Amino acid sequence: MPIDVTTVRKIAALARLRVETSEEERMARELAAILTYVEQLQALDLEGIDPTSQVTEGAPPALRPDEARPCEVRDDALSAAPDRDGDYFRVPQVV
Amino acid sequence: MTPAPADWAEASAEQIAESVRGGKVSAEEVTRATLARADRTASRLATFLHRMPEEALASARGIDEGRSRGTTLGPLAGVPIALKDNICTRGIPTTCGSRILEGYHPPYDAHVVERLRAAGAVVVGKTNCDEFAMGSSTENSAYAPTRNPWDLARVPGGSSGGSAAAVAAREATLALGSDTGGSVRQPAAFCGVYGLKPTYGAVSRYGLVAFASSLDQIGPFARTARDTALLFNAICGRDPRDMTSRPEASPVRLEALEEGVKGLTIGIPRDILSGEGIAPAIRACFERAVAALTRSGASLRDVTLPHAKHAIATYYLVATAEASSNLARYDGVRYGLRAKDGNLTTMYEATRGAGFGREVKRRILLGTYALSAGYYDAYYLRAQKVRTLIRRDFSEALEKTDALLFPVTPTTAFGIGEKVDDPLSMYLNDIFSVPASLAGVPALSFPAGFDEAGLPIGLQLAGRPFQEETLLRVARAYEATDDAAARRPAIAKEGS
Repeated sequence: MPIDVTTVRKIAALARLRVETSEEERMARELAAILTYVEQLQALDLEGIDPTSQVTEGAPPALRPDEARPCEVRDDALSAAPDRDGDYFRVPQVV
Repeated sequence: MTPAPADWAEASAEQIAESVRGGKVSAEEVTRATLARADRTASRLATFLHRMPEEALASARGIDEGRSRGTTLGPLAGVPIALKDNICTRGIPTTCGSRILEGYHPPYDAHVVERLRAAGAVVVGKTNCDEFAMGSSTENSAYAPTRNPWDLARVPGGSSGGSAAAVAAREATLALGSDTGGSVRQPAAFCGVYGLKPTYGAVSRYGLVAFASSLDQIGPFARTARDTALLFNAICGRDPRDMTSRPEASPVRLEALEEGVKGLTIGIPRDILSGEGIAPAIRACFERAVAALTRSGASLRDVTLPHAKHAIATYYLVATAEASSNLARYDGVRYGLRAKDGNLTTMYEATRGAGFGREVKRRILLGTYALSAGYYDAYYLRAQKVRTLIRRDFSEALEKTDALLFPVTPTTAFGIGEKVDDPLSMYLNDIFSVPASLAGVPALSFPAGFDEAGLPIGLQLAGRPFQEETLLRVARAYEATDDAAARRPAIAKEGS
């Protein structure tokens, strides 16, 4: 599967990640090398094999009771914001 | 009990805790000795991103005051410990080695930090790491590359390189790191210390900054098998705040570590050892260790891990897919860096472009690609299926054996700068550590010898889920026959 500068730009936009123009070629080359390496998985016969998304799958669920609890860190959390307005995070203009 | 050491920075955690509890030494004296070591070497090694001598001395004095009031002290009373900088510490900088979190002070402590404080451990600082734990050399830290205490021109391994180097250099008695594909075991091997990746689910990740959630585990670094057990015991167990943490996780019995290896069967995965690229010194060390364990009474059995050769390809799809999702939270809105740029979308792009380093960007892009429309089945889903085969390999190999023995890395520590321009070659260094991560089984790196250049060699034991005890028991038996774990790098001897 070829990966070129156009693909890099496309996935960078999906990931909301700016890649400098001067870096695009190198990024495409490095990603292509990795994708060529992972091609080895295409040759395996995986008919009837279930995917593993978590190794703890199948274990009895260990959930905590769904109870509302106070969260005392609001001020601390807000104080880490790059820009805040009272009890709100402030962001640049959306539209 | 062993006599008091000339320098408490050299003592084991076990001896420190026992001596502090028994009033033979104060936590403050132990902390001062350890801080003095770090004063001499930490800046040359770039082991820490944030040192905290005042907080450490205050918490040591708190322990000493507790003792004088008759409070029962915990199992790690007065033991200096360093924490990888992706573990949240309330009010103390936590950057994950990234510019995007420069100046971030978490509003809460990670579960493991709460547990360590309750156990009496003294936190001495936050250690350097590859940015967001992505890397195998600590060269991807946005701040400085950590150096290997055994040879300052070489890497300490990664991503928990600062933690491994700090323990090897006696700048901390213990340390915590995190292991997603080998980030505790590989630096432990490169620095000549113990490093344990617990079973997936054995330790709560509440407060561990997420990289790849189906793989991430917090693990201990120590200089003895028993200290590794002590630290594991202090952090393991169910925590309702991490739904993957399991009630089966149970502490290691320290007395069981002295039982030797008689009656245990060690599996030797000959197929993964037959590949090229394993340094002759590592091969020789492996054979010596096999012989030593056999002499101590272990039985051997050949096993195979036929899909382990696909582990790196599997890992770099699964881990990057998860990372691309986990790292979406760094958006310049709630914490960390915000770039000044136009509207909301361009602000996101500029913030992430400026805040993340090259390796992190590459992995986010790879993960985004693997999850994107048209590629999901071919890459991500396929990798998840291969993961199932790798899990099966381990469970079959461990059906008739108690532990598997194989190298941690194909080579000893490589030079700083040697692999930075070749990401794939850097990834392939993890060929022996990634399989156990995908399988979710516990795996331990233990100091097993040295190569011709005097660099440490680590070997790896992998076991059945929640059988950390067996791995530490085998490593303890090896430790009794070999001085590899007891040797110190020259930099740790300065001024002592």
